[in-house]
Amino acid sequence: MAKIKFKLNNQFVEMETDPNRRLLDVLRDDFNLTGPKEGCGEGECGACAVLMNHEIVNSCCTPLANIIEKEIITIEGFSKTKKFEVIKDAYAKTGGVQCGFCTPGMIIATESLLNKNPHPTDFEIKIGLSGNLCRCTGYNLIIEAVKEAAKAGDGLW
Amino acid sequence: MKDISTSINKVDNDEKTSGQAKYVADIKLEGMLYAFTVRAKIVKGKILNIEYPLLPEGYFVVDYRDIPGQNIVKVIFNDMPVFTEKEITYLYEPIALLIGPDKNVLSKLIEAVHIVYQEDEPLFDWTDSVVHYHFDKGEGKRAFSGKKIIEFNYETSYQEQAYIEPQGFIGYMDKEKVTLIGSIQCPYYVKKAVVQALGEREQNVRIIQANVGGAFGGKEEFPSLIGCQLAVALKKIKKPIQLIYEREEDMLVTTKRHPSRVHFKAAIKDNKIYALSADVGIDGGANIGLSGVVLSRALIACTGVYTIEHLDISGDVFRTNTVPNGAFRGFGAPQMFFAIEMFIEHVALELKVNPLEFKKDILAKQGDYTSTMGIFRDPVLMPLMIKKAMEVSNYQEKRTKYDALDSYKGIGMSWFFHGCGFTGSGEKNIIKAKVRLKKVFETVEILIAAVDMGQGVKTTFRKLVANILNIDIEQVIFNNPDTDAVPDSGPTVASRTMMIVGGLVARATVEVKKRWAEEKFIVEKEYEQPSYIKYDEEKFKGDAYPAYSWGVNVVEVEVDKFTYQVKINKSWSFYDIGKAIDERIVIGQADGGLAQGLAYGYLEVMNHKQGKIMQKNMTDYIIPTAMDMCPMETYLYENPYAYGPYGAKGVGELSLIGGAPAVAKAIEQAIKRRVFKIPVTPEYIMELIKNG
Amino acid sequence: MVEAFIPKDLDECLRILSERKVRIVAGGTDMLIQNRSHTGMSIGYRNDVLYINNLNELKNIYEDDAFVYIGAALSLEKIMQSDIVPKLLKDTILEMASPAIRHTATLAGNIGNASPAGDSLVSLYLMDAELEIRSINNTRRVFLKDFIKGVRKIALESDELITKVIIPKLVFEKAYFKKVGPRLSDAISKLSFAGAYQTYNNRITDIRIAFGAVNITVVRDRVLEKKLLGKKVEEIKEMMDLIISWYDPLILPIDDQRSNKVYRKEVSFNLLREFVRNLN
Repeated sequence: MAKIKFKLNNQFVEMETDPNRRLLDVLRDDFNLTGPKEGCGEGECGACAVLMNHEIVNSCCTPLANIIEKEIITIEGFSKTKKFEVIKDAYAKTGGVQCGFCTPGMIIATESLLNKNPHPTDFEIKIGLSGNLCRCTGYNLIIEAVKEAAKAGDGLW
Repeated sequence: MKDISTSINKVDNDEKTSGQAKYVADIKLEGMLYAFTVRAKIVKGKILNIEYPLLPEGYFVVDYRDIPGQNIVKVIFNDMPVFTEKEITYLYEPIALLIGPDKNVLSKLIEAVHIVYQEDEPLFDWTDSVVHYHFDKGEGKRAFSGKKIIEFNYETSYQEQAYIEPQGFIGYMDKEKVTLIGSIQCPYYVKKAVVQALGEREQNVRIIQANVGGAFGGKEEFPSLIGCQLAVALKKIKKPIQLIYEREEDMLVTTKRHPSRVHFKAAIKDNKIYALSADVGIDGGANIGLSGVVLSRALIACTGVYTIEHLDISGDVFRTNTVPNGAFRGFGAPQMFFAIEMFIEHVALELKVNPLEFKKDILAKQGDYTSTMGIFRDPVLMPLMIKKAMEVSNYQEKRTKYDALDSYKGIGMSWFFHGCGFTGSGEKNIIKAKVRLKKVFETVEILIAAVDMGQGVKTTFRKLVANILNIDIEQVIFNNPDTDAVPDSGPTVASRTMMIVGGLVARATVEVKKRWAEEKFIVEKEYEQPSYIKYDEEKFKGDAYPAYSWGVNVVEVEVDKFTYQVKINKSWSFYDIGKAIDERIVIGQADGGLAQGLAYGYLEVMNHKQGKIMQKNMTDYIIPTAMDMCPMETYLYENPYAYGPYGAKGVGELSLIGGAPAVAKAIEQAIKRRVFKIPVTPEYIMELIKNG
Repeated sequence: MVEAFIPKDLDECLRILSERKVRIVAGGTDMLIQNRSHTGMSIGYRNDVLYINNLNELKNIYEDDAFVYIGAALSLEKIMQSDIVPKLLKDTILEMASPAIRHTATLAGNIGNASPAGDSLVSLYLMDAELEIRSINNTRRVFLKDFIKGVRKIALESDELITKVIIPKLVFEKAYFKKVGPRLSDAISKLSFAGAYQTYNNRITDIRIAFGAVNITVVRDRVLEKKLLGKKVEEIKEMMDLIISWYDPLILPIDDQRSNKVYRKEVSFNLLREFVRNLN
């Protein structure tokens, strides 16, 4: 057991727990933040993605010990932002959402990418999404959504 | 009023993007227990003895002895036990559930289960035929005598649905009522299976669909198995229980696309195909389940989009000691279309004629007889679609250019169709779909068992009803199906949802419209088969499907001459789906289906070694990433089907079917070799190139 | 339950290492998968673990005249974004992992893992990378090639920690890494290749060849490379078959769920041929 302090969705959090737990389980079980999903449990699919210090990470392969003093934002936290509104509308406009299971992770990947690179090329978008598997869309409409978000949110990132 | 095809935002976009949409693993119930599955560690044999560890208070074993009803999962062919009693027929066959409040304890208990087996020799060869079909058209076998024969073999391997959300249920007892919430395509399949396994009254079983994180056929019949297991546990323990698979378990034990082998033989007369024979085998795995139906859809598609007068067609489902195979988007058609599209091309090459002209010459037309002597009743737009395909993809020019020996580039084109809805009289005799609309003041609620698993049913059905009534989409209600609330409109499979269920809903809506002035009422409609559909299932004679959706895919590839890796550069798709109820949704489905079809053709490798699936996780089972997929251009054609809503036909499966043959043909051109099996992996390409 | 140590600084970390037998976890991206238990349960480590990801002393990156020094807990992303890191390593990182993995995984972690398919190892072998290894009483420097002993076997004492990856500053006319994976990104390699060379007056002054995932660890043979030094580029091209035959006994791949040995060997040779053919 250890004391783990971190910032979660803009709130300071301190918990006494096993640092060998996966961040994904802590988010889902202790905080009922079920937006991050378990798709593969081994960092391949990206459904569990969250932002750590504003960069995408897979919460299924992040031990709690590694988030001490870090800032974690899940889709629940991110969905309260203006940037989210832009991304959400872009996904709606292009039809980037189907079953929705990969979607929170895709949105996080989109944010992480635009945060570093507000005007990505198609190729850069593909690299940015390459750690997030989607089985429904064939990716094209998601790539369109990222382009649309970059355009509609010009100046936000 | 706007054209129904004009796209609107999906109704579930906001809840899905914001992470608020609840999937089964997101649901937690007070006092919930967890279930782990005890599985066989041998491939074939008998259980001689099972010793369970001493269970702490609050922990349970649930096995065949706890089944109040029949120890059989009701599917189509009923040969899968809920829990095996003695016989082990495949590796990891389920034996029992271990249930309790703490997974740490459960994981130790499961390690301590001691099973003594008597091991038998497993069967992996395709020798034990458990379903055999045969049918003729025209002269049948006789057509082959004295003619020049051209024959080839084609092979396809496993494909895993790889929905991103693994299988799962959560269940609880509501007084006497077993209630299951699950990631499922077919609420009533699960309900009927549970009713039979529990020997329970219908009203005591309730199935609710949670949001489904992808299915693709993988959540058609498999959930009935684990639904029954969980229901048995609920009856015994009477506490909420969660049974959710993790990825590895899901990949090792759930149903996959049937591997197939097709032997085609063409009798040639006047340098044309006079007759065709096909000998088709599919690997059913350890249980038959849906395999017979998969085989029959494959056989019916044996001529592809071509009209061939004389046929001699037979097929077998082989039982092997491997994980049972089952439904997967396309349901036998992807295997057959790969084989026939390659074969026709290979025959043309053998005959030294232009494959394109050769194929155009025998392309099916309106009024032609199908393989089963049904009739293509509606206009066939294929010539138009093919012409357009060749134009926009610059097919001829590229074809010529890439013929250069060292191009390592290729362009391939596939032609295909998909029979919409259940095969034959399935809709009338087995499904008997019922839909209900409930009008209350200014709102209409759609009560059907159709599941939105990403294909957009929630949006398209609300749109359909709103459009007919000329009301706001907000006035139309559609909740996830709950068998206590909705009638059995049938499973969400077979590209039937919009065409069949949507057709019924449209008809019911027209009635609602007539009675709009009334405050509250309910309209129900039941499926009536178009009178012209007559089909003899035994003889494979008649109209196997009420309508067909058609497609053309063109794919351009590049093969790395040093690593033999394939890169897909671009695709163009042309689909006649009757009428799009929402264009963007159809395009999303089309892109996704094509991605699965292309990947089936060149990327996705799955095999078993002595009955064990070798690619047991997403690290080893490779599905495309955003980097692997190409820009896709899609063109939709209107060709209304009289009984579909606004003329809509099936969409879901069609777009998967042409991907594999198109990519395989493109690779053939790039490497100047003939391809006989999929996936066309770099390893296979290397072999082809080296062997000349 | 296994114990987890989360030291606040390097001294504490080295002290723990001197007192306890622990597994070291950096980014965790691979350790968590190798020790996966079940959803909702703690990671199924079999030994006590030591987390080093919070140690700021291990997150710096700097250079001197001869070397670039990369802290062991620095993420791949940070390495990729540094101006002083050789392009070959950056290219390799871009190919080896998705953004989410790059943000947490470390180079030292990839080394400590010692997987035959570890992509970064191929380029690091090529560049003669070294490691700084510390224990409470000692600091030593070792060549990567001498550190990796086999499949998941490394020459690290139980009280030791990799603290830096040290990369010589080299000048190549051309240096590249080629990953051959089952798809275009985000997958474990079937095999990989790295090649680099330098010429002076059309004669080879430095040439390096490395293969990944075709033996228990990276294949690089300095003796063979030496045989090519001083030769003219054209001469080397004419030696193609001979060169292939030199490497033939070293390329010993296996059949597994990702590929087969025939393919791995053939493609390794194709890439080698291509490298030689393009020398100029």
